[in-house]
Amino acid sequence: MASTACFVIVSKNDIPIYEAEVGSAPKKEDLAYQHQFILHAALDVVQDLAWSTNAMFLKSVDRFNDLVVSVYIFLNPLYLPGSRITSSHFDTKVRALARRYL
Amino acid sequence: MEPSVSIESGSAIRVAVLPVGGPIPPACLRDYAVLVARHARVDLAALRPYYSEHQKSPFAHQPWDSGRLRLKFVLGGCVPSPWEDFQSSRKVLAVVGICHLPSSPDLDRVAADFVDAARSYPSALANRCFAFCPTDAQLVQKKRDDIIMFPPSDQQSLELHMLTMIQDLAASLLMEFEKWVLRAESTGTILKTPLDSQSSLGSEEVIKAKKRRLGRAQKIIGDYCLLAGSPADANAHYATAIELARLTGDVFWHAGALEGSVCALVVDRMDESDPVLEDEVKFRYYTIIQLYRRATLQDNAQRVSPVSFELEAALRLARYLCRRQCAKEVSDLLMGAADGAKALIDASDRLILYIEIARLFGTLGYKRKAAFFSRQVAQLYLQQDNAYAAMSAMQVLTTTTTAYHVQSRKNSKRDHGLLKSVVSLFESQWSTLQMVVLREILMSSIRAADPLSSWSAAARLLRLHSFPLHPSQREIVKRNPNKKDWWTGGGPSGPFIYTPFTKGGTSATSKQEVNWIVGEPVQVMVELANPCSFDLVVDSIYLSVHSGNFDAFPVSVNLPPNTSKLVLLSGIPTQVGQVSIPGCIVHCFGVITEHLFKEVDCLLLGAAQGLVLSDPFRCCGSSKFKSVNFPSISVVPSLPLLVANFVGGDGSILLYEGEIRDVLITLTNAGTVPVEEANVALSGKNQDSVISIAHSTWKSALPIKPGGEVTFAVTLRAWHLSPSDLEADGSRSPTNSRRIAREGSNPFLDIHYAGPSTNSEGDNVSLPPGRHLVVPLNICVLQGMRLVRARLLSMELPARFTDAQLGSVSSTDKISNDRDVMHNDISLLKIDPYKGSLDLRLLELELFNPTDVVFDVDVSVHLDGTTVEQKILQEVKSAGSACHKTRIDRDYSARVLIPLEHFKLPVLDTSFFVKENGSDEPAGSRAATLAEKNAKAELNASINNLISKIKVKWHSGRNSSGELNIKDAIQAALQASIMDILLPDPLTFNFRHVEDGTAAKSDFSKKLGDDSSHYADESVLRWQDPISANEMTHMEVQIRNNTKETIRMNLSISCKDVAGENCFDENSSTVLWAGVLSDIYLEVQPLQEVVHPFSIYFLVPGDYSLQAASVIIDATDVLRARAKAESPDEPILCRGSPFHIHVVGTA
Repeated sequence: MASTACFVIVSKNDIPIYEAEVGSAPKKEDLAYQHQFILHAALDVVQDLAWSTNAMFLKSVDRFNDLVVSVYIFLNPLYLPGSRITSSHFDTKVRALARRYL
Repeated sequence: MEPSVSIESGSAIRVAVLPVGGPIPPACLRDYAVLVARHARVDLAALRPYYSEHQKSPFAHQPWDSGRLRLKFVLGGCVPSPWEDFQSSRKVLAVVGICHLPSSPDLDRVAADFVDAARSYPSALANRCFAFCPTDAQLVQKKRDDIIMFPPSDQQSLELHMLTMIQDLAASLLMEFEKWVLRAESTGTILKTPLDSQSSLGSEEVIKAKKRRLGRAQKIIGDYCLLAGSPADANAHYATAIELARLTGDVFWHAGALEGSVCALVVDRMDESDPVLEDEVKFRYYTIIQLYRRATLQDNAQRVSPVSFELEAALRLARYLCRRQCAKEVSDLLMGAADGAKALIDASDRLILYIEIARLFGTLGYKRKAAFFSRQVAQLYLQQDNAYAAMSAMQVLTTTTTAYHVQSRKNSKRDHGLLKSVVSLFESQWSTLQMVVLREILMSSIRAADPLSSWSAAARLLRLHSFPLHPSQREIVKRNPNKKDWWTGGGPSGPFIYTPFTKGGTSATSKQEVNWIVGEPVQVMVELANPCSFDLVVDSIYLSVHSGNFDAFPVSVNLPPNTSKLVLLSGIPTQVGQVSIPGCIVHCFGVITEHLFKEVDCLLLGAAQGLVLSDPFRCCGSSKFKSVNFPSISVVPSLPLLVANFVGGDGSILLYEGEIRDVLITLTNAGTVPVEEANVALSGKNQDSVISIAHSTWKSALPIKPGGEVTFAVTLRAWHLSPSDLEADGSRSPTNSRRIAREGSNPFLDIHYAGPSTNSEGDNVSLPPGRHLVVPLNICVLQGMRLVRARLLSMELPARFTDAQLGSVSSTDKISNDRDVMHNDISLLKIDPYKGSLDLRLLELELFNPTDVVFDVDVSVHLDGTTVEQKILQEVKSAGSACHKTRIDRDYSARVLIPLEHFKLPVLDTSFFVKENGSDEPAGSRAATLAEKNAKAELNASINNLISKIKVKWHSGRNSSGELNIKDAIQAALQASIMDILLPDPLTFNFRHVEDGTAAKSDFSKKLGDDSSHYADESVLRWQDPISANEMTHMEVQIRNNTKETIRMNLSISCKDVAGENCFDENSSTVLWAGVLSDIYLEVQPLQEVVHPFSIYFLVPGDYSLQAASVIIDATDVLRARAKAESPDEPILCRGSPFHIHVVGTA
């Protein structure tokens, strides 16, 4: 299992509303950026695939070298477009979950 | 790898276009090249006039009326490919020279030049040299065969001329192909690829190669049929080739022939698009990819890898399918090809691969994917160290800007208002990606020496980066020149501008001082009110500054009727000096007015009195405005500005209780002045959770130049959660949520830093202010391993007949050594409940893992500076094997035993009993209290010493480790019997086996001089020797006095067999003995020892245990206290640990 991972929630128009680098932190900043670039590129695939399947969880939809992208598609009716997720509790929870599985 | 490969490219004739003769102006060269290259397709029908059939054409099914030849012009030529025998389309089959005659007057030179240039393409079957713009002198020269002149004329006739020339070239190529095929069919040809030349040419290989030759020749003939524009012929040859290759197991050529057949199929039915054809192409191409992969695997050991053919095949198919309807399939193919990049050895191959992938994704409409691979291409370009590569990188990166929403300024003009556009750009897009891309554009444009691109990228980057920092991160601290710690007392401490505790009341009357810094944007908050009943559109509003050292940024505002709005007006101070801002300038309805802040008072006052029409309720507290003081603003020179970043993200740092972790912090100087000095200190709560800061790292990086950065490590140890924390958390969600995030419990890094001190006006060194940066260490502590309880267990263990006892010596200092050896080898102890006891005390720690991860626990006892980790007895394991690590699963508990025998003090001293006896003594003498205090302190010190020696460390996962805080629990567990643990018995007994009396002793003491390892080897030997029955065994008992007083006693020695029967009994028939064994009167001097010898003769083999006990005569109070005697008449008995003997028969 990869020891490092990047978790991003993206809203409409490729706007990331939450970002977290989890797992053992990459030692170089460049690598952290690379994760985000891969995630951004995967959106193309996700956008197409989302309409062709009923599944909310798209496992390993994309990859680059040994990094694999898996995507959950959700619709939050209460989401205010353009707003970011700033809750520190959410952040903590995400990181705690990541620690459990990574 | 070759660029822009497609399925049809197998049918294109490669023509090298080379400039020859004198230098050609770039514009002319481009024109000539376009003129040549526009004839990429030549219809077969048009060739008729130039074609003459010399022999019977081998291309029997050539479609003369509908077919065509395809030409691929390569400007500048190319390096011959080692694979050109494998695919004829890789061969340069014709060479076209381009000559600009005005710059090359000598036609002979030109002709010779062209011959030279063409010589490097031995595979070329036809050569032509085109010469443009001949001078009059050249035109009148004799017509030459080797140079084709294009007399100056209009474009149309020039094109027509060129067309005929190309048709002529194509016709001669066609005839050459015919010749070639006829020759190949009759004589055969030897075809090799780098794969073959690598393999060893054993006799078997030669035979194999001969068999394969025929198939390969068929494949190549097929290739030429394709090039000749006859797919039907090609198909027939390919079909034969496929059969032959399959039979001979020529996997690579099989794939090649199959690929040719698909090309023939596609070229033949070029204009139709039918699903059956598409399925056929797909099916064949997946087979081809499989075959190439097999060939790659086969030839894995070789240096030349045909992996590029597999990738090219994937790209060809992807290009063929590249439509929205097949997006999934194309995307899979391309991702598969991208995976292959790792296998490519050549960097330029990887470059071509990524370029092709990016192009195909772009065609597919996957803009983000295309941008991603374009960026990969740019990175490959940036790895090359030259300006052209950097230029390419820059251009490639520029194509990604739309996908990453790195808009140019022009596009964002549509937003009205500069402020708004900055904010929206920053907040609404994927800013990390934007910044990285812009930074890469900037980097490549600097390398490519393109100032305009650098400037625009840098400007856009600045715009993205210029988000407002929190004021606390750019706080200015006045430097105190007299102090080394200049920051102390310099600025306001804490968040309050005013506190009642600051000394001196003078500040009340003085004007408020504000410092701005040259080059750092500032914002002034202005409240605007629209008292009118209509919309007020302010075209632009900005601060009015008369001092001329401030650039104000205008913004536009729209004020709905009867509303007020807070607007941030910003600007940048440009020069050192005073700034006065009397008001702001407003452009509204085409009128420019300056609104003065001073007048606001009067206006509000007037409004309150009803003199001015306005809405007083929209303005806050008009009466307060009267006394407002405008601050005096002074601009100071540029200061450094440090920005802190956590490597790996700025989120909170999650740690288990007691976990130790290094956190890397990067400090970047975002200012324009170097950081010359800095100081990093801690503040806030839980400061002890920061174990160390790598001060030397950042110190060595000083001075930090503008734009420079330093990364240093801070080692953290998570604190322990208090029970109240746990309860509060538990009540919220009992099962899952075990995290505790408490605001305000974090430590902060306080960084004070300053730039250089400027030397202005003579020797007066003026100190510009320093700065203060607060970096919060957001530690979030998770509940980790729990210590459920610690308790003391007393175990009764008989001592075994260990080597230590066997090999012991008479010298006193050696004995303590031996005792250590014995204690350190607890693995040699065996529990035997039926025999006498060695009173062993164990500390039991019960650990519980309430988390959801697995913990490995490691208990160690530090003795005299060295870690001895072998003394852990596991309940679950047999006592014989020492277990180093305990794994505790989630929601499980485990117990760890720690023997407490190594903590005994060497001397049993009276002072330890002062505390207990103290209560009996009448409270009075000062000296006694002092002594008591001393003793207590000493005792406490030794207890603390004991506890600090026991360490419970844990690991979890790959990168979590820490230490359990168990001090308090251990202290509580040991409280009751700490004396028993720390205090030695008054007497210690030890048995030794003496072989042949003094002889063995002397023998052994001689050996002592050797090194310890030798000694160890020797003792191991002795240990394996049991005592044999029916032999006289000489033993001695050694009694050591641990007190500071002489002890007199009556010693008795007993021997028990496995049944517990006393063997030194008169009636016993198992053991005979010599020497006194009971009621031995002995007197032992303080801290000395005596030896009592005796001999035993075992009649029956088996296990026996010896035990010594003594009744102390006239025991002192200390001894009574130690023995916890209840009455003064009670005899004080001292018993040694049992000594195990194994007796074997002699038979």
